[in-house]
Parts: sequence; C-alpha cells; structure tokens
Amino acid sequence: MDDIKIVLTPKQKAGSWLGSFGLIAILLIIFGFFSLTLRGTYFNWGNIKNMVSFSSYVGIGAIGMTFCIMTGNFDISIGSMLALAGVLGASAALKLGGIVGVIVTIVVAALLGLLNGLFVTKLKIPAFITTLGMLFIFRALAYIYTNNNPQYITDRFWIFLGNGSFLGLPFPIFIMGLCYLIAFFMLRKAPFGRYILAVGTNSRAASLSGINVENVKILVFTLIGVFVGVSAVLNGSMLGAANPGMMGDGYEFQVITAVVLGGTALAGGSGSLGGTLLAALIVVFLKTGMSNAQVNSYWQQVATGVVLIVAVSLNKLKFWLLGQAQ
Amino acid sequence: MVKFLKLYEKIGIFILIVAASIFLAIVSPNFRNMDTILSIIMQGSYGAIIAFGMTFAITSGGFDLSVEAVMGLTSVIIAMLIPSLGFAGSIIIAVLASCFVGFLNGILITKVGISPLITTLSMQVILRGASLIITNGRQVVISQKSFMSIGASKAFGFLPMPIIYMAVLFAIFYIILNQTTFGRHVAASGSNEQAAKMSGLNISLIKTVVYILVAFSASIVGVIRTSQTLIGIPTMAPGFTLNVLTIAILGGTSLAGGRGNLIGTLFAGIFISMIYYGLNLLNVQIFYQMLAVGITLLFALFIDGLRMKYLETAKIKGIRV
Amino acid sequence: MKKYLRISVFAVLILALVVTFAIAGCKTGTESVKATAKTMKAADVTIGFSVWTMEFTFFQNVEKGVKDACAALGFKYTMLDQKSDATQMVQDMNTLVNQKVSGIVSTPVDPGAMGPAVQKARDAGIPVVCADIGKSGPVNALIVSDNFKGGGLAAEFLANLFPDPAATIFGLGNCKPQWTYARQRGEGFKAKADELTYNIQSDIIVQNPSAEGGYDTMQQMMSAAPDIKGAFFVSGREAVGAANYVKSQNKDIKIVGYNGDPEEFIAIRDGILSATILQQPYVIGYKAVETLKEILVDGKSYENVEIPAEVKLVTPENLDQIAKEVMDSTGNSAFGE
Repeated sequence: MDDIKIVLTPKQKAGSWLGSFGLIAILLIIFGFFSLTLRGTYFNWGNIKNMVSFSSYVGIGAIGMTFCIMTGNFDISIGSMLALAGVLGASAALKLGGIVGVIVTIVVAALLGLLNGLFVTKLKIPAFITTLGMLFIFRALAYIYTNNNPQYITDRFWIFLGNGSFLGLPFPIFIMGLCYLIAFFMLRKAPFGRYILAVGTNSRAASLSGINVENVKILVFTLIGVFVGVSAVLNGSMLGAANPGMMGDGYEFQVITAVVLGGTALAGGSGSLGGTLLAALIVVFLKTGMSNAQVNSYWQQVATGVVLIVAVSLNKLKFWLLGQAQ
Repeated sequence: MVKFLKLYEKIGIFILIVAASIFLAIVSPNFRNMDTILSIIMQGSYGAIIAFGMTFAITSGGFDLSVEAVMGLTSVIIAMLIPSLGFAGSIIIAVLASCFVGFLNGILITKVGISPLITTLSMQVILRGASLIITNGRQVVISQKSFMSIGASKAFGFLPMPIIYMAVLFAIFYIILNQTTFGRHVAASGSNEQAAKMSGLNISLIKTVVYILVAFSASIVGVIRTSQTLIGIPTMAPGFTLNVLTIAILGGTSLAGGRGNLIGTLFAGIFISMIYYGLNLLNVQIFYQMLAVGITLLFALFIDGLRMKYLETAKIKGIRV
Repeated sequence: MKKYLRISVFAVLILALVVTFAIAGCKTGTESVKATAKTMKAADVTIGFSVWTMEFTFFQNVEKGVKDACAALGFKYTMLDQKSDATQMVQDMNTLVNQKVSGIVSTPVDPGAMGPAVQKARDAGIPVVCADIGKSGPVNALIVSDNFKGGGLAAEFLANLFPDPAATIFGLGNCKPQWTYARQRGEGFKAKADELTYNIQSDIIVQNPSAEGGYDTMQQMMSAAPDIKGAFFVSGREAVGAANYVKSQNKDIKIVGYNGDPEEFIAIRDGILSATILQQPYVIGYKAVETLKEILVDGKSYENVEIPAEVKLVTPENLDQIAKEVMDSTGNSAFGE
C-alpha cells in the first residue's frame, strides 16, 4: 500500500477514538468509580473474578446472537431454548451421567437453533415471528417434559464446569474465553465471517455473488443454539438445577441488549464481537457496583435504563463525529 | 390458490376465531352463554387496546416494549393523585404523563437515533423503577370506591365498559390509520423511510406522534385496570408486553412495516383471550395453552408467508389479484 | 474450513484434558461442610441479606426485620437484591462470600437453584439461614411459614361459613407450579377441603400475579362455576383483585387471601375481602438473624433445621386486634398507613 496520508478532522479523530476505545473507556470508568467509592468490597480480585465469571451467562449466549444480528436476523426464543435444553440435559445427566448431560444440552440447543433456522429460511416466516412462536413452544415443552419439576444437577463433572477453578480463575472464564476465541476465528479468518457480513449488508447482492444465503442463515441460527447450549450448561452448573419455568427468564433481552450495546447494528451488516463481550462485562460490573453500594433497588432500575440509553447515545455520537451515515 | 390466499388475507384471523368458537361451544357448556362470551371479549380488550397502538408502532417500522411499565406508571399516578385531584383530574394527569413518556420515546428514537428496541426497553426499566419510587414500593389503595365504575360497570346493564372502550378506540385508531393523511404517512415511513423522507415527510414528527399514541393506549388500559382493582400498582401487568406483541403480530401486521391491520389486531386480541380463557374453562393446563399460542402464531404466519409468495409472483406474472 | 475445524477439535481436546486434571486435582467440596467452631464478638459480625425483590410489601417487611435485628444485636448489615433473577441470586451469594460476611440470610427467588452457592458459603465457613420460601443445599436453618397449615385454615374458615358441603362449591386461585412452597398453600387448602368433603370445582392458575390478574381469574372462575360460594387465592394481591370483581358483579362470594399485605387489611376493613392468612415476614426476618446470632456468637450448631413460623387467620372480627399485635411487635401499621 502506498503512503496515502489520511487527514482526519478533529471531529473525526474524536469519533475514531470513541469507536475504538469507547466501550473500554466506559468499562474502566464504571470499574474505577465503584472501586474508588466502595474500595475493598468492590476492588478485590475475588470480586472481579466473580463478576467476570457471571458475565459468561449473557456473554457466551450473546456470541451466537451477534452473528445472527449481523445477518439482519433476530432470535427472541433463546430464553426458552436455554430452559428446554437445560432440562433435557439435566434429566439425561440424572440417568446417564454429567458428561452425557452436558453434551445433550448443547446438542439439543443446537438442534432447536437449527429448527429456527429451517423455519426462517425454508418456510420464509420472518425471524422475529418464528422465534416468538418458538418462545412459547419451547417453554411449553420444557414444562410438559418435566411436569414442572426442577431438574437438579448434582453430577461432579457438571458442577465443576460452573463452579470449579483452574489456575486460580473460575472455570467459566476459560470457557467464555475459548468460545470467544473460536468465534473471533470464525469471523475473521474463516470465509464464513465474510459471508455473514455480506448477507447482513445486502442479501440480494450476497446471493448474486454466489453465497448460499440460506445455508449461512441456517448455520447462524444453529450457532445461536450451540452457544446458548454452552450457556445453559454453565448456568445449570452454577445454579445446581434446571428449572423449566425460571431458567432463562428474561434472557433474550439481556443478550440482545449486550449485542446492541456492543455496537452491532440491528439492521445487520456490521458488528463487533469484542463489543459484545465488553457490553456483557459493563452490564454486570455496573449492576454489581450499584448493588454493593446499597443503592435503593428502585433507583438501580432507573439507573440501569439511563446508562443503557447513554451508552447507546455515545455510540451514535461516534458515528456522527465520524460523519458516517448510520 | 391465489383466490384462497386473497380471501384469507381479508378474513383469515376471523376464520380462526369462528373455528375456535365452534370447538369451544361443543366442548364446554359454559362457553355458550352470553355472559361468558362477553367476559372473554372483555378480557381480550385489555390486550387489544394496547395492541391497536402497537399496530401503529409496527406499521411505522418500530415497536414499543415499554407498554406494561406505562400501565404501572398510570396506575400509581392515579392512586397518588385521586385524594387531591379527584377522578377526572388524576386521570388526565396520568394520561398526559404517559403521553409525555411516549414523546420521550419518540424523540430518542427519531432525534437521537437510538433503536426502538433499546429505547423502549430502557424506558420500561426506568418507568418501573420510577413507579416504585413514587409509591415507595407500596401498592396504594384507592379509597373512593365509586372509581370502580369506570372499568367495571356495564352499559345497558349487560355490556362491560371495557368492550365499549375497545370499540371506541378501535374506531378512532382505524380512522386515523386508514382514512387520514397522517395514517398514510405512518405507513409510508414504515415501508420505505428513505423514500418517505425524500417525498418531504417529516419522519420525526410522524414517528413521535405514533409513540405518543402507543403510550396513550397503554395508559387507557392502565386507567381501566386501576379502576377495576382500586389499587395503584407499580408492578402492574408483568410480562404483558409479550402478550400485546403477539396479538399485534397474529393480527397480520407485518413487522417489515408499512401495512397495519387493525381489524386483524382486534380479532387476534379476542382470539388470544379465547385460548387462555376458553382453555381454562376446559381445565387445560397452562403449558398446553402456551403451546397453542405458539403454534397458532407459526401457522398464521406460515399462511401469511405463503400469501406473500404466491400473491407477489402472481402480480409479477401479471395475473390480476 | 478444514483448518479451523482442526483447531477447534484441538482446542476442545485440550479443554477436556484440563477439566479432567482439574477435577482430579481440585476439591469442589461435596457433602462435607465446615462447621463454624469458633464464636465471634457481636461487633465483628456482618450479616449479608440476599432478598428476592424489594418490589413487594412482604419482602420489604422481611428486610425490616433483618435490619432491626442487626441493629438490636449490634451487627453490621448489607443487602443485595436478586431482582427476581435466579442467576443474580447465585452471583449475589458468591459476592457476599467474597465480601467475607459472617452470616447470610436469604429469601431465594428459586430455592432449588441455590445448592452450589450455599455449598461455597459453607466451605468458607459462613452459615446460611433461609428466611421463608424454601431451601436447597446445606443450609443451617430455614424459617418458613407453615404454608400447608395456612391453606387448611382458609378451607376451615370457608367451611364454617357454609356448613353444608353437598351444596357448596369452592374455587382455588393457584400459583404457577414452580413456586414450590407457595404451592403448599393450595395443597393445604385442597387437603382440608377434601377432609371436610367440600368440592373445589375450579382450580385455576392465576396467569398474572398481580391484583388485576386475580380480577380476571375470578371472572373465569365464575364463568366455569357460576354457583361458586367461596374462593381462596394463594396470593393476597390477587385475592383483593378477585374480591373487587365479585363486588362489581354485586355478588356475595367469600374470598380469602394469603399474606396479610396492607391492601388486604384495608379490603377486609372495607368489607370487600372476607379473610386472609397473615404471615409474619418481619418476625421471620428477625428470627433468621437471631438464629445466626446463636450460631455465630453463642456457638450453637444448626444443620438443616426447619423452624416453622406461625400463620394466623385474620377475619373482620379479629382485624383490629391483629393489627394492634402487628403494630406492637413490628412498629409498623398493618394497614400500611
């Protein structure tokens, strides 16, 4: 490449900086603020480990969702997916052991995702609606299968995955790291990543360029299932149970919030896995900080909503400064 | 096939209702009396009214997830203000406050450019917190019992008021959406925002008014429910937003925007009520009721998908549809 | 495609290896719990309270009880709100363990999901007492209302009003099945009704756990069983809504609630609600802290003990007396005024 000097206006410089470091800055500000005000209770290694470990719940599930939203699609059924996969896996574990249970959970979730993908591509029902219907259906199936009894998880292997430590770090952190590494790899190095962005930007153009749009979409929905399955495994482990009614309650909104907060546009075509991860951490760090500060619960709710709006506004500010059309 | 689908477009959801009614009438003797039927429609009216507003929002290309919190806000404002301002005064303030919330939603979505999802989701959380702060976590009892008549009385001795409110609001919203310029503009901005903008439409104004309408419809239901229970409830209707969304979508309003089907929404609201109410009469477990809703949704939109496919290709082929 | 497939497989194999070594090497602690042998001075004690949610009066009262007990005993106090989320509940318990609190009181949103978290607390030498709802895992004690008996009291009350079982139909507004301990109220009601040979014709789960949900469910109940004479709603909020529906239809159906929230007291006073079963959240919270005091300061040992808390039937006749008792023991008005 020749040396083309790109001169940015001051506005654009600010925007570029915001884009690269915006989320990290927010995370550090939140962490710094609570560390200064709460000192020992917040700013200690154990708490940091705890917060990062619990970020894995939303963080891992959000990986698949990031891909999905990048292609311009949507999946609102993941909470129910989590529950159904969780209870099936847990009940399998009771009879066949933890390792089988874990595998069953992930496989079931992947199959459910595949089902969503097939409905969306083959039957041409819009993603939002398909997954809205599945939200009811999966949840109902979870209730029916377990006759509304929570499935307890006691297997040593399974319990270890969510609660154990290795080299001083909680195990979920490793699993989350591994998932993100695999995901980064798929996005950056594998052709699959380019396909996702192409489909999201303009699916007709992508199709004309020879990309099998349908297969990409099916794969993306299946991936949502895979990562939701991993989340279900960790969640079931940490809670020691898979409760058909409560597992994954509100999960879809937490995940979608993390993805959008992380900078992935709902229209599709652009996105950031790193952003998703940072967003998941930001939400947990913020909530934990406010909780520890004994902030009135009602004010916590208000604050959470306001912070969300502010954070996304900053994202908009970034685009405005860069002079890009959003 | 084309003929069938064209017919379905007009009366699809209606057919579902008729089919379900026949089924329920055969299977449950309690279903057949007028009281029960009116009760089912009444219980459907709460979701339907808000779904009218939601239909507008979806037609304009967005949606509003804050409706259940608007209900709660209305409820607590009324309960706190009735002692000093009386019925009319407190209702007016509550509805105005809700419209202001809708205005905020609209501004954040149009001027600041935040997606409807994040805006309304955040607003939901903020409003719920605000409602709890207003009452300090309590449920505030309304001691003026006559307030109950707003939501609980019956016109002509047998027709529950909520059904009348639903009919009136349906008429108003229908006229706005289908008979006024504004309504056409809403559809235009939903189906192709760029084109609408270039035609000179003030998208910001249009969408903001839409979100005010949604909040307004949610507030009305908040008034009705508060009147019925005589309690200001900060945590009113948890999970109701999903119900409303389902009704709007089941009614045939396309999420792509641009086409709002208020008639469909009306019938969908009644239909959903039939599922929950009717199946309860039959002692069908809640889980199967949820299953029924999900399957109906998929079925209804599968047909919708077929319709779009066949009718669009038929149009392209030049067949008159 | 092949290349990254290989890398993924490689990564998963490494992961499996790591897990195997880790399990072999680490102890996650299973059935054994560390008993708190040493005793502490009151001034050194910090109690961590993990509450289900602060959105409802019941839990606000539990919190008051915990707070007041801590103040009375000279303990320090910190509170985390689960916001009705089971995952948050587990994270909060870990947070409290991390903050090295001396003892934990918990009203868990999902009692079945606290096993591993309680284990971690016990491994760190922190006793855990559950206040109401339920428990799982190696908790030291659970202080819970006798929900089953409470349901039975409701059935008895209704039976006394309608002495002829053959001619009387009752209804039951039940809760969602996952609330295992609240479910006991319905179970107790059904058991007592069966024993007294009364017929519960309508057993409906209240979809919307709020007052307007009770209103709607009552409407459905009256459609399903038009001759219904009385109904029991396992949640007081819903019962008040149901009672209001009955009033709007100008019928005389007796509604009984459960909990004893201020809106129920007011409804009984206004003649809309017939009765309710009063729980004592303040006392439960207070007792939870007292139990921890016995463990931490007095060195007593508690393992998986269930301590029942009394429930009382509140009717228009004894309303004022009970309200006075509530005021005397907790310093709060039963009417929320």
